Amino acid sequence: MSPEVYNVAQTPITGHAFNADRSQVAVSLNSNDVQILSRSGNEWTTTETLSEHDKVITSIDWAPNSNRIVTSSQDRNAYVWQQTPDPLTGRTIWKPTLVLLRINRAATFVRWSPFEDKFAVASGARAIAICSFDPDNDWWVSRLLKKPIRATVLSVDWHPNNVLLAAGGADMKARVFSAYIKDVDKRPAGSVWGEKLPFNTICGEYTSPAGGWVHAVGFSPSGDVLAFASHDSTISIVYPGGPTIYTIRSNTLPYVTLTWTAEDAFVAAGHDCQPVLFTGSQSGWQSAGSLDDTSAPKSSGGARGGLGGASPVGRLNSLAYTTFRNADSRGLAQSPGGAGSASPDGDLFTVHQNTITSVRPYAGQPGAVTKVSTSGVDGKLVVWNVSAVGSLTTRLGAARLG
Amino acid sequence: MDVNFRKIDIDAYDEDVISEGELYEADPRDPGQVLEDAKAKAAAVRSSLSKGDMAGALGTILDSPPFGANVEDAKNLTLQTVVTVLNSTKSADIPNVVKSLTPEAQDTLMKYLYKGMAMPGWGDVSGSVLLGWHEKLTDVAGTGCIVRAMTDHRLV
Repeated sequence: MSPEVYNVAQTPITGHAFNADRSQVAVSLNSNDVQILSRSGNEWTTTETLSEHDKVITSIDWAPNSNRIVTSSQDRNAYVWQQTPDPLTGRTIWKPTLVLLRINRAATFVRWSPFEDKFAVASGARAIAICSFDPDNDWWVSRLLKKPIRATVLSVDWHPNNVLLAAGGADMKARVFSAYIKDVDKRPAGSVWGEKLPFNTICGEYTSPAGGWVHAVGFSPSGDVLAFASHDSTISIVYPGGPTIYTIRSNTLPYVTLTWTAEDAFVAAGHDCQPVLFTGSQSGWQSAGSLDDTSAPKSSGGARGGLGGASPVGRLNSLAYTTFRNADSRGLAQSPGGAGSASPDGDLFTVHQNTITSVRPYAGQPGAVTKVSTSGVDGKLVVWNVSAVGSLTTRLGAARLG
Repeated sequence: MDVNFRKIDIDAYDEDVISEGELYEADPRDPGQVLEDAKAKAAAVRSSLSKGDMAGALGTILDSPPFGANVEDAKNLTLQTVVTVLNSTKSADIPNVVKSLTPEAQDTLMKYLYKGMAMPGWGDVSGSVLLGWHEKLTDVAGTGCIVRAMTDHRLV
């Protein structure tokens, strides 16, 4: 089954977050605003715009059960958006509530906790703000995880127990913290990460062999395994007991985002422009193949139609680049109306034409995710079938034999 | 627009600035030991070369290379030894030699290729030989290998 491809914009998509029934998606198009897109047939149309931030938005998350959106921005603020009736018109609107983050650098990443009573905001202030609601004052307050973070935090991921938080950043470390808040959380049961977990306990600190910024972190569905992707084009999978760490060295450009689909599988994507499935267990991990079919150009794909002559904004591979590359490596000179060679239109053979910046679960349950969604710098939103990897591997194998 | 502010060293005003040494784990060996190891490996490489065992020679010299501060002599000796092996390998043999290396050794070799290219005319460094190796190594280990060589703060 081929992926569903939506051309949402001609600009980079900063991040995307679907609502619970996947009928709406919140995206930011590299701007100060969040757009709520609603599905109408095979298209997504903007139905609402959330404007409150005064600098570029860096991350969005949509809590499925409480139906609240949280956004973080370079303006050092986060807002929680909730649907309420407008007192004047009676219409339902998204009302922002400011969060007191107490950070002096940009907020870089935000995620709701599994129980949706807390969220974590990563920042350039060498801190992660753990935010919870204070009903007395009707605002969100934060406590900061500071030690021993030495640089900008780039991503976070919650453990299913609502207490532990994984974080990775520009200090080249992936860490597991306790984000236990006394008034909110019940005392968590002990796990492989530790027994006693007061706020800011460091339950683990890991790095990849060649270092590099840790772009993405993710707990497995059970929370007993941690995967992280670093800028040295590696993915490391951590079993905390030993600890046993498996590092997969990729042949391609670095991954910047990942999401677990099952206890023995996750999907990672990044500068290579295609989502790749990794599978394994405590005895070892390996790449199972790409979800994308990269054997042929996608230019005939139906979803791209209607945008004929799309501007190359956001595309990694431009026509000029391809022309020069062909002239250089194959000696193909392209004169106007030149005979012979078909004009390459500069498209990559992948669906995404530039870096994928976010991959998230789309369908299925935690531990049995059947579809994932990706968005990236090329302005596309794509829904992939996780099981599609099997057929692809076979096809590649056949191609190699043939 | 005035862009001179970009040249201000803002780290000088930061009390908690992260230093280069904090970006990687230091070599547990002391500098004297590192130099001894490099000399021993250079000798082992010479004996492998005399037997025509290019893959063995390269594997030996790329194993736990000197990195970090205060080991300049060992670094120079190792680079020189690597360059000797690279120069004395027939270009037809390069793909098989590269494939025989461990992934760690492939990443280390890429670091030496870039270091060599940054020092044209140093010792026996030959740009065309390095470019030949670079092409074959990239065929085998991909762009990921280049990214690792550039990302790693353990400079050889």
